Amino acid sequence: METNFILAGFGGQGILLAGTVLANAFMLQGKNVTWYPCYGAEMRGGTVNCEIVVSDEEVSSVHKQDTDFALVLNQQSFDRFVHRVKSGGTIVSNSTLVSDSRPRSDINYVFAPMTELANNLGSSKVTNIVSLGVLASVSDVVSKEFLERAVVKVLGEKKKDLLPLNIKALNSIENMCLV
Amino acid sequence: MDKEKVLIKGNYAIAQAAVNAGCQCYFGYPITPQTEIGEYLSGKMQELGRGYVCAESELAAINMVMGAVSTGVKAMTSSSSCAVALMQEALSYAASDELPVVLVNVMRTGPGLGYIYPAQGDYNQAVYGGGNGDYKIIVLAPSTVQECIDLTYRAFYLAQKYRNPVILLADGLLGQMMEPASLGSYPYPEVDVSSWALTGAKNREARSIYSVAREEKKQIQHIYDLHKKFDVITQKETTFEEFNIEDADIILTAFGSMTRNIKAAMNVLRKKGLKVGVFRPVTLSPFPHKRINELASLGKDFIVVEMNMGQMFKDVKFAVEGKVNVDLVNRPCGEWLSVEEIVSSVEKTVEGRKQYAASV
Repeated sequence: METNFILAGFGGQGILLAGTVLANAFMLQGKNVTWYPCYGAEMRGGTVNCEIVVSDEEVSSVHKQDTDFALVLNQQSFDRFVHRVKSGGTIVSNSTLVSDSRPRSDINYVFAPMTELANNLGSSKVTNIVSLGVLASVSDVVSKEFLERAVVKVLGEKKKDLLPLNIKALNSIENMCLV
Repeated sequence: MDKEKVLIKGNYAIAQAAVNAGCQCYFGYPITPQTEIGEYLSGKMQELGRGYVCAESELAAINMVMGAVSTGVKAMTSSSSCAVALMQEALSYAASDELPVVLVNVMRTGPGLGYIYPAQGDYNQAVYGGGNGDYKIIVLAPSTVQECIDLTYRAFYLAQKYRNPVILLADGLLGQMMEPASLGSYPYPEVDVSSWALTGAKNREARSIYSVAREEKKQIQHIYDLHKKFDVITQKETTFEEFNIEDADIILTAFGSMTRNIKAAMNVLRKKGLKVGVFRPVTLSPFPHKRINELASLGKDFIVVEMNMGQMFKDVKFAVEGKVNVDLVNRPCGEWLSVEEIVSSVEKTVEGRKQYAASV
C-alpha cells in the first residue's frame, strides 16, 4: 500500500523539518519512503511545502498530482492544497491560522488550533511538531510511537535539551475533540 | 562504516560518498539544485584536512580539478546544466589528456539559463559532449539516492581505472529528495597511478601531460588509442537493469529518477493485462546498444519515457536498427510524468499501433 502526504505552511513554520521527522518515522518503521521539498526561491514568510510518500513496496513516484493527506499550517496552503486532496482523503488544518471553510464535500476536514497549542506549551516554534501529533491521531498510517523515536533521532545529541518540549508537543492533541 | 540506513538527501549522499571514496579535493561554484554538495564539503573537507576551493567560476573549478587529478589524487567538481555547459572545453581536454576527472551534474531546466526545476535535458550534453574533437566520457545515471552513493563510488573508480573523465548525471529531483540509504564504504580497490601521475621528477624522467598534437601521425594513433580504450570500457563496464523482460511485448525505457515511475507504470499495466517490461540503462555512455538490439531481435517494441524532447529516444532508435517500433513519451521539464500519465500514454500508443497494423 502507498500513502502520500503534502505538508505546507509559511516559511519558518518548520514544514520541511516536520516532513523530515515524518519521513524518519516511516524509515524507522521499516517502510520505503521519499521526501521531496519544493525548492528554490523560498523564504521566511513565503510558502513552503514538501511531499512524503510511504509505501510497503518501492515508492512509485516521488512527486504526485494528488494526495491522501494534506497537512496545512496557514490559509494560503489550505487554499492551494484543498483541491489536491484525493476524493476520500483528509486535509488537516491549523485552525489558529486557517478559517473553517469546507469547499468540497468529498474529503474529510480536521481542524486543530496548532499554533495556539504550541503557544500554550511556551513556544510557537513547536507548531510543526504539534501538527504531526494531530496527523498521527487521524491517520492509521502514522504512528505516534515512531514519531517520538524520529524526533529523538532528528534532534540528536546536540539538541537533546529540546526533546521534552517536542515530546510534549507531539502529545498535546491528546484528549482533544477534533472536528 | 555502518550499514545502517539514514534518511539522506541525494546531494548530501553524493558529497559523503565522494568523501568515503577518498576524494582529496573539491572545487566548485554554487548553483541550484546541487549547492548542498559544495555546502556539505566546505565543512567536511576542512574537518578532514582535505582541499576545498569555492572557485571564482565553473571554468576555474573544472580546470582546478584537472590540475589536482593530474597529480594522481582523486578530485571532483559538481554543478548543474547551464554551468556544466561552461565546463565542456575542459572535458575535451581532460579526455585527451586521459585525466580521471569526476563531474557531477544535477540537471535543471535549460536551454540557456532555464530555471532550477528538474529536467533531463542534458543527456546529449553528457553523452555526446559539447567539447571539440572525438572524445568520449563515461556517464552514469543514478535512479535513487542509494544509487547516488553507489555510482559516485563507481565514478571515482572508473575514472582512475580507465584514466577517463566520468560524469555522474543526476537531476534536481534526485538531488533534492531524501530517501533511506546506506553509505557503506568505498567498495573498490585503489588504482595504481604511479606510472603516469605528476608527482615530482626526482629520481625519474620528467613527465608532462598535454593535448597539443603537432605530429599528425601521433595524433591519429592517440585518437585510435582513446577509442580502443573506450571499446574496452563498453565491453566491460556497460550496465543496465531489466524487469519482467522475458515475456514482455513492450519495453518501457527511462534513465535516472524516471526509472521509478516507469517501474510503477509497468506494474499497473501488467495488472491491466499488457505484457510490459522495463529496461533501464545505468551507464548512458557506454550505452547498452547491444542488449537493446538483442531485445529488438526478439520483437519487443520500445517506449522511451524521459523529461526532455527525446534525447535518449534517438539512441534507442539507433540501437534497434529499425527492427521494432520505438515511441516517445515525454515532457520537456518540470513536474515528472506521473505514473497515471505514463500508463495512459502507453495505452494510447499500443492502441495506435493496433489500429495502424489493422489499416495496412
